[in-house]
This record gives sequence, structure tokens and C-alpha cells, in this order.
Amino acid sequence: MLQYFIILLDDTSASYCHCENTKMERRLMPLETLRKGIRFGMMENLMIQFVYPDYELPTEYNEVIEKIDHSKIKPLADAADVLILNKWQLSDLPNDIPVVLRTSKKDLFARYNELEEVLNKVERLNVVITDVETFTEDDFNTYKLVLSALSSNLERLYVNDKSPQLNLLTDRMMLSQMNNCGAGDTNITLAPNGKFYVCPAFYLDEETDSIGDIEHGLNIKNEQLYKFDYAPICRHCDAWQCKRCIWLNRKNTLEVNTPSHEQCVVAHLERNASKALLENIRKYGTFLPEQEDIKEIDYLDPFDNKDKWQ
Amino acid sequence: MPWEIAKQAIDYILAHESDFKEESVIWDFIGGEPFLEIDLIDKICDYLKTEMYRLNHHWFNSYRFAFSTNGLNYHTNKVQKFIEKNHNHLSIGITIDGTKRKHDLNRIYKNIGTEEKGSYEDVVKNIPLWLEQFPMGSTKVTISSADIPYIKESVLHLYSLGIKEVNINCVFEDVWKDEDDKRFEEQLLDLADSIIENNLYEDYACSFFSETIGKPLDISLENQNWCGAGRMLAVDAKGNFYPCTRFAAYSLRAKRPIIIGDIKKGINKNLLRPFLVLDRFTQSKKECINCEVASGCAWCQGENYDAAETSTIYQRSTAICKMHKARVRANNYYWNKLYRKLELEGKREEFEANKKDLKPEIC
Repeated sequence: MLQYFIILLDDTSASYCHCENTKMERRLMPLETLRKGIRFGMMENLMIQFVYPDYELPTEYNEVIEKIDHSKIKPLADAADVLILNKWQLSDLPNDIPVVLRTSKKDLFARYNELEEVLNKVERLNVVITDVETFTEDDFNTYKLVLSALSSNLERLYVNDKSPQLNLLTDRMMLSQMNNCGAGDTNITLAPNGKFYVCPAFYLDEETDSIGDIEHGLNIKNEQLYKFDYAPICRHCDAWQCKRCIWLNRKNTLEVNTPSHEQCVVAHLERNASKALLENIRKYGTFLPEQEDIKEIDYLDPFDNKDKWQ
Repeated sequence: MPWEIAKQAIDYILAHESDFKEESVIWDFIGGEPFLEIDLIDKICDYLKTEMYRLNHHWFNSYRFAFSTNGLNYHTNKVQKFIEKNHNHLSIGITIDGTKRKHDLNRIYKNIGTEEKGSYEDVVKNIPLWLEQFPMGSTKVTISSADIPYIKESVLHLYSLGIKEVNINCVFEDVWKDEDDKRFEEQLLDLADSIIENNLYEDYACSFFSETIGKPLDISLENQNWCGAGRMLAVDAKGNFYPCTRFAAYSLRAKRPIIIGDIKKGINKNLLRPFLVLDRFTQSKKECINCEVASGCAWCQGENYDAAETSTIYQRSTAICKMHKARVRANNYYWNKLYRKLELEGKREEFEANKKDLKPEIC
């Protein structure tokens, strides 16, 4: 069921997820399209999330936007509800809004120590690795060590009465069911060209991949394939924090409902690190008592376990 | 296919033994017409045998070479020499569609004068030699809309040629016209009468009639995929790998080919994942899941992909639905009639003890 409506205000709107926005030329969504988009969101009872470019919008746009309850996803801290960082510029971060750090694996592996200070300041940090599909066996091993180090940082903070959220490690501890990106299922995107897309990445990747337009409405073909029940691997998985990126799925396996090996292993390394973190924090006292223990499993890719559920 | 490509494909497959763990292997030669390239095939088979031996590969002595041939060159010296050399490891099916008028509907020589000439006469003369060498030889017949009037006569004709097992199925493509299901049903009913009244069921089999089809399926117990795409490997003349030949460009109408690797880079296992986790539930409409006569209703993953509204293998084409239902009605008639006859003759128990059910053939 649709719940969220993402509106890309400009072709150069910041990417906040796996896909890179390589569009360099500004194309601001026409004001009339924006009005129609907001009306669509209101009529469908959707929570609207505006994704901003790195320049100031004209006043009339701000007036239209402020007419509806919404969230602002911005590459600038000014009046943002979510701040996106495309570079490791970690100084002077606001402490009252979630921060999304988009990073390559190389930078993450080299600079993860800098995140302890960030976690000490912000309430929530989402780390998005932008080249998950390139992970090798060596990278998996390195990532496991990085997660372990970050876990130790978090453990120290939690013991000292701070409770920052780091998506890679704390989401799984707090979830009791799948909580994925939901593209095409719980959310859709309106692009500056007035067309709907499964998510911003589908627009940025290939503009012809639309799923309807603001004039004629939504037309999601094979919409069941965006739902969890129709994802054979994912429905047998308990890495509930996994982004289950629909765009990466299609890019790497050609199917929107099938994750790549790399996406699965990365998610399971996070899951297992979350398990260890949860167990370690609980050694100090009661913590998330309503949450069940995270089970021990003997695989990192549910695909490798398919003989047990097929 | 150049020899070098074939050699590199073999080298890749045999060098990756851990990726191909099946106990045995079928090396299937699919054309066009494979026996047009018998010299190349002979060289490939010799190389396979020596390499499987040299590598002490687990497939050595656990392999078959399979051919579906139009039969035209079956009698030639080169083909016969190849058969003699490899007989114990060969499966050869000659595709003869039935009576002359049925066979020559689709199987026509290219570029012979101005008049179309069918190949029936040249194929049928090779059938006795084939059955002498492969007494259990079976044939595979494919039915499209235009073929429906010839089903009964064709199956009976193939029996009369000595072919004891006729594997026959309707094409999966959306070719069916109004009333085709009724015409199909009538043909099968007539065929059922002939088989039963002439006691042909004692020695011959036709895959249209099977006791296992036409039942509801419990999705929690019977959720497996029908098609084997992705569990086989197809290689084309350029050395590209496919999950099945149906995903090669020459087989597709509307979609881009799905190439899962090649002889140089190997198999991209991420591209195989969707095929290997496919199940009935995920690709079927609710009406198919809840269908009262679901068992035996087949699908082709390649046709599903080609006909899908989006670029996916997860949308099952249901073009064959009404033909399957017609088949089920005729099939029910066949078994009710046959068992009643056997009961009246006191032969039912003996029949049930000795019967064999044809495995469903697809594609």
C-alpha cells in the first residue's frame, strides 16, 4: 500500500540512495506539475517528501510546498528534515535531524573511525554504500571488521546513556519485520518531467521507465513484483534492515524482486553485527526487552540456503 | 559455431566442475539442423570424451549426446559412422510431425524451384533405420492452431510407423483462435476412441493422455517451477551463455536477449539467481494458483518473458489456458473410458501394474 510520495524538484536534486545522479543540467519541475503532484499526494493520502537541488528554489515554489505537510530531503542543512552528505564533510553537522552519508566502500573502509564522533553528535546516521555491487570476498571481510569497530563505538555510547541510531547496526535490533525501501510498493516518485517512477534511481537511470504520469495517473505493470511476498529470496530472509534496493536488484539480476549476492551478503554482515551488538549491550542490563534475540544462522546469502525452503 | 568457440565452451564448463555438480550431463546439439554439421559435432564429441577422461571429470562415462534432428541426413555415411561410434551414449529423436499433409504444413525445403516441397517423403524413409538402431525412439510433435485438424490422424500415423512414444504439446505462444479449444477437444476425443477401441494403449503412448494432469495443486506442497531454464546452460555460436536457447535473440519477438555470460568472462551468477528461485506462486495469477485443473498446465520461461508486460521472467503467460482445459476434459474422458473397458475385460489390475506414465515434455 502506498504511503510515501517522493517529489524530485529538479533534475539535479540530490541523490540520497545507491544511485548516482549524473544529471548536471538544471530542470526545475514546472510549478503546475508541482501543484498537481501535491494534489495527487493529498488525494492518495500520501506523506510527501521533497528532494531538493543544491540551489535556492524560487519563492513561489516554497509557497506551494508549504501548503502541505511534508519532509524536506536536502543537500544543505538549511531547513532540512533529512540532510544528505555526498562527501565526508562531517564537521558542523546539525544534531537534530537525520543525516544520510553516501560513501564508496573505499572511503568507508578508510575513514569509518571518523563516524564515532558523528554518532556522538547526531540522533541518526544513515550510511549508504554507493558501490555495493562491486564487493569482493576481501571487501566482505573488511566490511565485517568495519562493522565490528563501529559496533564497539556504539556499545560505548549506549553504555554511556547515548542512543544514536546507525542504520547499518541499530535498525535490525529494533525491527520485528522487514523494513525495506519499499520502492513501487509503499512509495513512488514524481520526476520533474511530470512522470511517475518506481524510485528516483529509475528516473535517473532511464527516463523511459515511467509508471504513469501526473495527468493520467499511476500505471504500475506487474506491481505485485515490488511486494515482499513476491520476492522469493527476501521472503525467506530475516535481515530486516536490508534496503532491498529495487533498482540495484534490477541492475544486477535484471529482476526487481531478486537481490544480488553482494546485496544479500552485505545485509547479512550487518544483521550478524547487529546480533552481536544487541547481545553486548544486553550484558549491561535490560535493553529493548520487547525484541526477540536475533538468531544464529549459518549462511550469509539466503540464496545459498534455498534447498531448505524450495 | 567455429571449433575454437566450441572448444573454449567445453574448457570453461569442464574447468568449473564445482559449478556443475549434477551427477550426469546431456550435451544437447540444437540447430537449425545439427546433422548438417556432423564433422564439427564429431570433433566436439571426441574432444569432450578425451577431456572428461583426461580431467578425471565426474561426468566421464555419465553423459549423453542428444540430438533432435529433422532426419533428412540420418542415413548418410558420416552420420551413421558417428552413431556407430557413440551409440551407447546417444539419444536421437527424429522430428516427424505426423501424416504427410500435417508434416508438410510446416516442414518445407528452402529454395527448391518455385513450388514448395515438403520434407515428409525424405524423412519417413529414414524412420525404419532409426527405429532399428533406437527401438525406443520417440518423437516430439508441436501443435499450433493450423495443426489441430490433423492431431488424431498424425498420432495414429506415427504409431503405424512403429514409433511407440509420441510426445506432443501445444505451443505456448498466443496463437489460439476462437473455438480452437473445442476443435482440439474433438480431435483428442476421437483419438482417445481410436486408441482404446484398437487396444493401442497396450503398446503405444501419447503424452496428451496422462493420469496426473487436471488436478488442483496445493501451493504449499507443489510450488516448484515447471521450466528448467537456468538449470541448463546454452551456448551460441559466438560463445554467449544463456539460461536456455529461448532467451537468445533469434528466439525472442519483443524482448532483449538474456545473456548470462560468455566463454571468456564465465557465468554471471547474479543473472542466474532469478531463474533458480522461480516458483509457481511468484509468477502465477491467482486464477492459476486456485485453478481446479492446474496440474500438467505447463509454461515456457522464455515465452513468459517474451510475452510479459515488463522485462521479467516472473509473469506467467496464460495463452495456453483454454487448450489445457480442453486437454483435461479429453484426458478425463480417455481414462474413464479406458478403465471401464479394462474392468469389463477383467484386465484393469494387470494394466495398472504394468503401466508407465509419460513424463511431461516441455518446450
